[in-house]
Amino acid sequence: MLNVIIAGFGFIGRKLVRTFHKKIDLIKNVDSKFKIIGVSDSKGYLYNLNGLDLKRLSSVKRLSEYSEEYREGRSTEEMIEKGEANLMIEVTPTNVDDGEPGLSFMKAALKKGIHVVTSNKGPLVVAFRELTSLAKRNDCFLLYEGTVAGAIPIFSLIKRCLQGDTIRRIMGILNGTTNYILSRMYFEGTSFELALKEARERGLTERDPSYDVDGIDAACKAVILANALMNRNVKFKDVKRTGIRRVTQEAISLAKKSKFAIKLVSVIDKRIEVSPKLVPINHPLCVHSTLNAIHIETDLAREITLIGRGAGEETVSAVLNDVLTVIRETASRSRKI
Amino acid sequence: MKFDLTIALADRPGQLLKALKPIAKYGGNIISIIHERENPSDGFVPVSLVVDFPSKWNLQKTISDLRNMGITIIRAEEIVDTSRIIAILVGKANLKDIIQRGIKNAKIIGFEVSDPVSEDACLKLEIEVPTRLLDETLENLRRMAESEGSLIILPI
Repeated sequence: MLNVIIAGFGFIGRKLVRTFHKKIDLIKNVDSKFKIIGVSDSKGYLYNLNGLDLKRLSSVKRLSEYSEEYREGRSTEEMIEKGEANLMIEVTPTNVDDGEPGLSFMKAALKKGIHVVTSNKGPLVVAFRELTSLAKRNDCFLLYEGTVAGAIPIFSLIKRCLQGDTIRRIMGILNGTTNYILSRMYFEGTSFELALKEARERGLTERDPSYDVDGIDAACKAVILANALMNRNVKFKDVKRTGIRRVTQEAISLAKKSKFAIKLVSVIDKRIEVSPKLVPINHPLCVHSTLNAIHIETDLAREITLIGRGAGEETVSAVLNDVLTVIRETASRSRKI
Repeated sequence: MKFDLTIALADRPGQLLKALKPIAKYGGNIISIIHERENPSDGFVPVSLVVDFPSKWNLQKTISDLRNMGITIIRAEEIVDTSRIIAILVGKANLKDIIQRGIKNAKIIGFEVSDPVSEDACLKLEIEVPTRLLDETLENLRRMAESEGSLIILPI
């Protein structure tokens, strides 16, 4: 039986609530007593041990619009400390400098024995080992499928379906915005500046575009992949990073003549690098527009490529799957006891 | 190390078997053998072998034994496994200079310079590199680009 709290009610938080409402029958088939007992934002939280009304919660843009139950001025930590939840979904905004506020929320939850599901890269980039050890010590799940390549189930695939394989190399197009920009330059012959402007107009970039175009976002994802799947202990500073600002129309056109596209590729093997690369146009990694792709090379299965949508609302698919995994696994544990 | 070893054998039975003995003695592993019996010249038949020897020394000892047996060596060359790669450089660097100076370990097969619409010049290089030196050569290229403040785009 899961009592769930959600930290963060931004774009993903709201989408998630709507998805829980839409898919409630499916979820209740797995856990008939599933309920959301709390949701917080940066200014306060809603809390009801009997479960919040998902229909009403789905219709509001701000938590304060839900009801007078909204506890303004109270902190997410306070909601966690009540200790009545057994799963926290952490979807606060990403901060790759110090991981906050998500990092503190995750630590507080894990210390209380609350399982954590997140799509927030920041805390995992800053403190991957610390968080995974804390989860292990407290016998908690810490699932983060939504942090890398949105809806692509890379961690689930490798951890569940390739348990005996050793991952030798991972290459990925992990940032949809830069892929959109480079695809526009490739197909339309537009300049970098114009393609970036278009991406901004379509709402594809972060407020600070350097997060995308200088490879910061892709580097964060590479750090998580390296630590989670290749047993490395790397930090953001260990990534050799070159963005796409200097990729010119001429470079793309010369590449095209030799049947290559230029893509921002993260490579994790002996090195960990994010840089513009020449990708043969018939290579499975050569996907266009905002698509993401991950190509893994293992000792037994050899090569596998996954392609999918990398950001935005599709991330909810990954978060929901992680939630269902926690429900099933905790149910199976209690059956064993 | 693989070698192309071409020898001239007298067009008589048993000559090939005789010639193979020093190869075996010095640890050569024969990968292919072409006995061109249809092209004899002055009673000699060219035989082309591709042999994997543990080192160049083993090849030299084999050649010496073959010569002592009166066998003519037409060709004995290392077969270098090469890789062709494309690299694109974007920057203000003197691209002509890069081509003139050359790249260590690499043979420049072709190059193309784009019409400079942007401030930065753009050069596409096609180079051939011994495969065993590929990583080292790519690292050299990266360092060269970095020192010149150019962006280098290499294949995945």
